[in-house]
Amino acid sequence: MNKDLNKVRNIGISAHIDSGKTTLTERILFYTNRIHAIHEVRGKDGVGAKMDSMELERERGITIQSAATYCTWEDIDINIIDTPGHVDFTVEVERALRVLDGAVLVLCSVGGVQSQSITVNRQMTRYNVPRIAFVNKCDRTGANPMKVTQQLRDKLQLNAHMLQLPIGLENDLVGVIDLVTMKAVYNDGDNGELIRIADIPADMLEEAKAKREALLEDVSMFSEELMEAILEGGDIDPELIHAAIRKGTLSLELTPVFMGSAYKNKGVQALLDGVRAYLPCPTDVTNMALDLKNNEAEFPVTNNPEDPLIMLAFKLEDGRYGQLTYVRTYQGTLKKGDTIYNGRTGKKVKVGRLCRMHSDEMEEIDECGSGDIVALFGIDCASGDTFTSEDINCSMTSMHIPEPVISLAVIPVDNKAQINMSKALNRFTKEDPTFKSYVDHETGETIISGMGELHLDVYIERMKREYKAEVQVGAPQVAYRETITGRADFNYTHKKQSGGSGQFGRVGGFMEPFEEGDYEFADQIVGGVIPREYIPSCDKGFQKSLEKGLLCGAPVVGIRCAINDGAAHSVDSSDIAFQLAAIGAFKEGYIKAKPVIMEPIMKVVVEGPSEFQGAVMGSINQRRGMIIGTSEEGMYTVVEAEVPLSEMFGYSTTLRSLTQGKAEFTMEFASYKPVPKGVSEELIKKYQAEKKNG
Amino acid sequence: MEATQNTENPLHALNINQTMGLVMARAGLGKTAILVQLALDCMLMGNKVLHVSIGETVDKAKSWYDDILSLLSDGEKVSQIPEIMRNRMIMTFKETGFSGIKLEERLKDLIEQDIFQPRCMIIDGYDFADNGRDALVELRDVLNRLGLRQVWFSAVCHRDDGRQSALGVPSPCHDVDDIFNTVLLINPAGDTMRLDVLKCDIQGVKPGALLTLDPSTMLIQKTA
Repeated sequence: MNKDLNKVRNIGISAHIDSGKTTLTERILFYTNRIHAIHEVRGKDGVGAKMDSMELERERGITIQSAATYCTWEDIDINIIDTPGHVDFTVEVERALRVLDGAVLVLCSVGGVQSQSITVNRQMTRYNVPRIAFVNKCDRTGANPMKVTQQLRDKLQLNAHMLQLPIGLENDLVGVIDLVTMKAVYNDGDNGELIRIADIPADMLEEAKAKREALLEDVSMFSEELMEAILEGGDIDPELIHAAIRKGTLSLELTPVFMGSAYKNKGVQALLDGVRAYLPCPTDVTNMALDLKNNEAEFPVTNNPEDPLIMLAFKLEDGRYGQLTYVRTYQGTLKKGDTIYNGRTGKKVKVGRLCRMHSDEMEEIDECGSGDIVALFGIDCASGDTFTSEDINCSMTSMHIPEPVISLAVIPVDNKAQINMSKALNRFTKEDPTFKSYVDHETGETIISGMGELHLDVYIERMKREYKAEVQVGAPQVAYRETITGRADFNYTHKKQSGGSGQFGRVGGFMEPFEEGDYEFADQIVGGVIPREYIPSCDKGFQKSLEKGLLCGAPVVGIRCAINDGAAHSVDSSDIAFQLAAIGAFKEGYIKAKPVIMEPIMKVVVEGPSEFQGAVMGSINQRRGMIIGTSEEGMYTVVEAEVPLSEMFGYSTTLRSLTQGKAEFTMEFASYKPVPKGVSEELIKKYQAEKKNG
Repeated sequence: MEATQNTENPLHALNINQTMGLVMARAGLGKTAILVQLALDCMLMGNKVLHVSIGETVDKAKSWYDDILSLLSDGEKVSQIPEIMRNRMIMTFKETGFSGIKLEERLKDLIEQDIFQPRCMIIDGYDFADNGRDALVELRDVLNRLGLRQVWFSAVCHRDDGRQSALGVPSPCHDVDDIFNTVLLINPAGDTMRLDVLKCDIQGVKPGALLTLDPSTMLIQKTA
């Protein structure tokens, strides 16, 4: 194993769906000798690309779960996480970005920067991930890497610079010109594995010189040495240029742009050279951990293999080898047989087997060190858990996990399906923090919730395929919330004396909106009017009430309940009496506190030819959407809007028919907002009817 | 203060029907902040506003509204008044891609389908130095055709360019000031930030009237 951290690259490959990143990964594995034959994503040989290890992924030609793998390029060890492109799976992207040091942003040379690229770029910015761009599919009709580079500047506000020029485009793509070395690079051999370096074609020399000059002018901002060398004139050492580009890339002030066609085996090796030269090694990046012994104070991890172990479990998988936990090591060394400590559960676990993963194949190893991404066997944990050696107690910074916004009921068809479904849900909820499941106590149905229609769809498919759990699916339901908009007092007495021991408890106080969180309980009792032992009972009673609001049965959030008065009876008061008193008090206060129903609002971005702008906006308007703005990108118009999720079901079909299939959209959760009066009344009526019918 | 004879809110006095207004200042002094206040004033009265931002992103323009509204509402969450934002739409153009005809093309569709019928328009980032008088006249005609009642432009003036019109309107707008009904100039004077009324055709507001701005927030000050 390579121990020199300068020679390790932990990278992600992120991009818009269908920009060809899985094909690119496949080629990288081929050129780094990890695989010995190439299989296309939707290839006729039926094998599918190496990284799409799940059956469903192979069938749909999209990547759902990130598969981790590693390879070696020249003297560098590269750990690659292939990440999904659809916005519904962005938690996978975010988790990958959390543990990676750098990323390759793959773009289609025809489609350019699309809305999903914007989301992925925003995520990379959130985690300060230095990136290089690869403009793929330069062999396609309409390919224009220059336009894509300009879009990187305009749409993503990246200081993007082409380090190459294409030699020919579309069908005529034969190679690229390296603007740093000023040489033409061609891929020969059946699979482009032979690199031929030649002089720049005479008809492109002038253009190449001009582009190089512009490149050097900007890149020299990052290196005084390079600036001096340029001013002195004469030949410039390519190493000076590489160093300046690396500095700019690491500081996120520069995005080098490579280009080629993974499918046609062009330009992939040069991209690997770029990963080696410009993306950070683990010691280039400062990762922070939280000291759990010191009030969660942040401290930087050391990357030192001699220091106590800190590693983060960022992904769980239930594969043919049993449960696999993918971990990134931040400091220390882990050996086979070592005992590690889970900071969240406080449990010690022994590491039996340790391996490096190559998509769904594995290679057993004896130890791993700082900066490594490896998989552990048979470790019981949840995604996001931190493992350490026993002598320290810390946690890696928590990840940004969005709340699920859509849910639906799943009903197993028979008893066998019921058992298999439980197994599947247990696994999925551990693997994916944005996927949740619970049993609705009133209907007895199992409800699953997640980030979008496709997100849930994929899990239902996986249940059927991987766990043989046949389920019927209910209609999707939006996750409504209730909250209060005003302050209201309550004073409720729970009294029951119908034989046997009685029940007595009086709870007085007020409720008010609470913006800092979902719920707060305030104990303002003085003089012991409610005995201390019954204060938690009141809290419990309020919390029970919050589970189902009185308007439409949605959970109540953003509320503060304070008690400042009450009464107890020396014989008849009990825990349950005060819980019931609090539930009564809640009901009394809630309706007076002007409750409202809130619904999830999605940020929707529709991108399509400008001629359809009116139709797109009309469709958003009809869906109670609020148009934030429109911008024009050449022949395309991008419409940004906020639309209630409940109105977005089936939107892809509507959009397709409105725009002859030429527009596409992405959406992500934005916020919760009160529903309009008409919708609110309808929801209340529906809830009342449901309650009446039992 | 003369500019606010009939109302406590100086914005109402300036923001009346049939205005073609201009806010000028040197770079970075807060023209957009003034335009956004004029837009919000219109929105709060229930009118639709189209904010045309040239050379900026939708997010950037949106954040101006969020920030100013947050200042005006004293830190209260903007999301609590989402209905006001329904009165606003942002349209962005590239510096090279903006013209009256282009604007008409993009807006006509929305007006005809009754998706968005703006009463007021903000045009932020229009390049007066590169676009001549003819282009501005054409733009004015388009705005009239589209039925806009109030239009506000921003323009950057430069300290080292001393040219100005008889009314004191600085370059690059010195020779097009007749096209505008109202011209305001942000004028930093010592510790205070002034908003000078260089030209105003509105009855009751005389040229030479002064408004003051809070230098930390760029909010137009309420009259006593």
